[in-house]
Amino acid sequence: MSKVVQIFSSRRTWAWPYIAFMAMFVVLPLVLVAVYALTDINGDFTLRNFAKFFTHSEAIQTFIYSLVIAVFNTAICLLIGYPAAYIMAQEDFKTPKVMAMLFILPMWINFLLRTVATVELFNMCGLPLGEGALLFGLCYDYLPFMIYPIYNTLQKMDNSLVEAAQDLGANRWTCFWKVIVPLSMPGVYSGIVMVFMPTVSTFAIAELLTHNNIKLFGSLIQDYITTTDLLNYGAVLSLVLLIIIAMTSFFGDHDDKEEGGLV
Amino acid sequence: MRRIKLLFLGFLGSLVTVSAQSNLTYELHVGTTGENTVLANFPESYAGEKINIKVSVESVTFSELDFIFSNSQHPIANSPSFDSIYSYTDEIGTFWTVWRSNKEIKNRGQRVMVQNAYKTFEEYVRTHTAVAKRSTGWIWFVFAGLLLIAGIVYACVIIYQRRQEKLLTPVEQETLRRKRMGLRRHYGSQLYLWLLLLVLYAPIALIAVFSFTKSKILGNWTGFSFDLYVNLFTGKADAGLNSAIWYTVVIALIAAVVSTILGTLAAIGIYNMRARQRKMVSLLNSVPMINPDIITGISLFLLFVALGVSQGLATVCIAHVVFCTPYVVLSVLPRLSRMNPNTYEAALDLGATPAQALRMVMLPELWPGMLSGFILALTLSVDDFGVTFFTKGSGGLETLSTFIYSDARKGGLTPELRPLFTIILLVMLSVLIYINIRKSKQEEK
Repeated sequence: MSKVVQIFSSRRTWAWPYIAFMAMFVVLPLVLVAVYALTDINGDFTLRNFAKFFTHSEAIQTFIYSLVIAVFNTAICLLIGYPAAYIMAQEDFKTPKVMAMLFILPMWINFLLRTVATVELFNMCGLPLGEGALLFGLCYDYLPFMIYPIYNTLQKMDNSLVEAAQDLGANRWTCFWKVIVPLSMPGVYSGIVMVFMPTVSTFAIAELLTHNNIKLFGSLIQDYITTTDLLNYGAVLSLVLLIIIAMTSFFGDHDDKEEGGLV
Repeated sequence: MRRIKLLFLGFLGSLVTVSAQSNLTYELHVGTTGENTVLANFPESYAGEKINIKVSVESVTFSELDFIFSNSQHPIANSPSFDSIYSYTDEIGTFWTVWRSNKEIKNRGQRVMVQNAYKTFEEYVRTHTAVAKRSTGWIWFVFAGLLLIAGIVYACVIIYQRRQEKLLTPVEQETLRRKRMGLRRHYGSQLYLWLLLLVLYAPIALIAVFSFTKSKILGNWTGFSFDLYVNLFTGKADAGLNSAIWYTVVIALIAAVVSTILGTLAAIGIYNMRARQRKMVSLLNSVPMINPDIITGISLFLLFVALGVSQGLATVCIAHVVFCTPYVVLSVLPRLSRMNPNTYEAALDLGATPAQALRMVMLPELWPGMLSGFILALTLSVDDFGVTFFTKGSGGLETLSTFIYSDARKGGLTPELRPLFTIILLVMLSVLIYINIRKSKQEEK
């Protein structure tokens, strides 16, 4: 008994249940994705699933199309979101908190319901559903993720640097491009990651916004993974997506150190 | 600022008016079935209107069915066409195909027919609803009109100002010009933000406005009524919706409680680790946060398949704990680093058991972090779709998200969802306003 007490009085051990839980439900499942990708339906080792991916033109095309859509969406979000964040971070802007609140509030409405309402809005205005609607819907859903990190870095920025640039004779434009933009890059990076990653893996929104006429990579994975015979091939597709995500999060790693990560 | 707010209100107002005018919805059911089935004969007043037709048919391949738009003079005047096809599988496992068409009725007395080339229609058609919806394309005229009026007013003001200015000295003109530039920049940026918000809130306004009408179809106004609210609260709504609400609440509470306990203990453990261990665990902690929904969902789905576990409430709860706990850990850790690390050991030295020390020393210091972690977990769990979708199994368990998804794929929404989310929005709005007011009052003090 006293030994048990001793173990638990060392507080380091209090994280053990969590570590065990994570090993079981985070690490093991991710390993299983790779295992399923490398085996056939009987559980024997095979590389045929990977070979199938590289010769499966529908999968490759959908994959590239999804990447393109995600890049476009990220770019649009950045173009729209940066000015908004910049305006909110200005010193003479009186109600930044209220504005920030108004931008997050829609996120409490279920995103699928918002998407359906967007579809109805398009119908009401007589606009066709398709690529345009898809980009609009994606941008609509992920714009706050872009505005928020940029707003945060801009707000924390040392304003005396801007004033110094102005004193040294920089006009507004030079000051913006040479001082403000470089200083806000950490926020831009994390905004890009926060928009790009969910867009590239989205799977429900695209179906609703295009009446199933446009398929994104996420929907493709969903189709295969829920079909019992093709589960292993679905695992390969998930693995491909996982690699893209890993690469993206590596790209966004720059600012994590500044934020401190844990502790 | 005030002017822009008025403009925003004006937009909402015009939305209501437009929808109030567009209540000419025809829900027509197919009377006879045969080789060429007439879906709808439109009354003469419909000429020039746009119609929106939806036909759901059980398991037919695409090429076998087509819409034909014709009138009595020219039996097959227009080429057969539809705008989109999609399919879904319902709860019983029946495969449905849905055709949608958005066409203009060109002639008086035009008919819409559904043609089936191969077999008699009777075999397939189970539900056959043609919805003719009056076109609301003229919403654009409202927009254009508003813009035009705003532009004219603005131009008048500018011309008037210019005239006044000519009476001033050059120096005064220069200062005025500077001032106006500043003002223009200010109003320009305000306008930009409010326009963004307008777009962001338009679909939500649609939901809120149409929660006050009985109509089944979103975007179709059939008179003001509280019926949907009454249905929601008296349980008269769709049974699936009621159970989805309960499951959502139960799962969110279980997931939030479990992840708060697990996450707080983990945070205390991680805080007391050596640097290298801490780094490893923090990496592990960030994995579920970086992973997109679909990957978390699929990997857990594969785990449950591999283990042969039947999926249901338990698996969904586990999955939700997986993606909620890291956020709890991250919200508790800052509180830990702020508290004096020696107080806990002092309590132990003074004879408290670890449990007592935890309860009486640690918890009072940590609870704000735990609370914010708990609330975050609740929000994440309620909002989640991707993970739930893959771990809910096929036992009929639905949360609100998955319920909306399967509903929307059928091409319609359960109408009671509209009042539900209007209420959620209002509650969140008042909570946020309350917090803001309290904060600003504290700052004043």
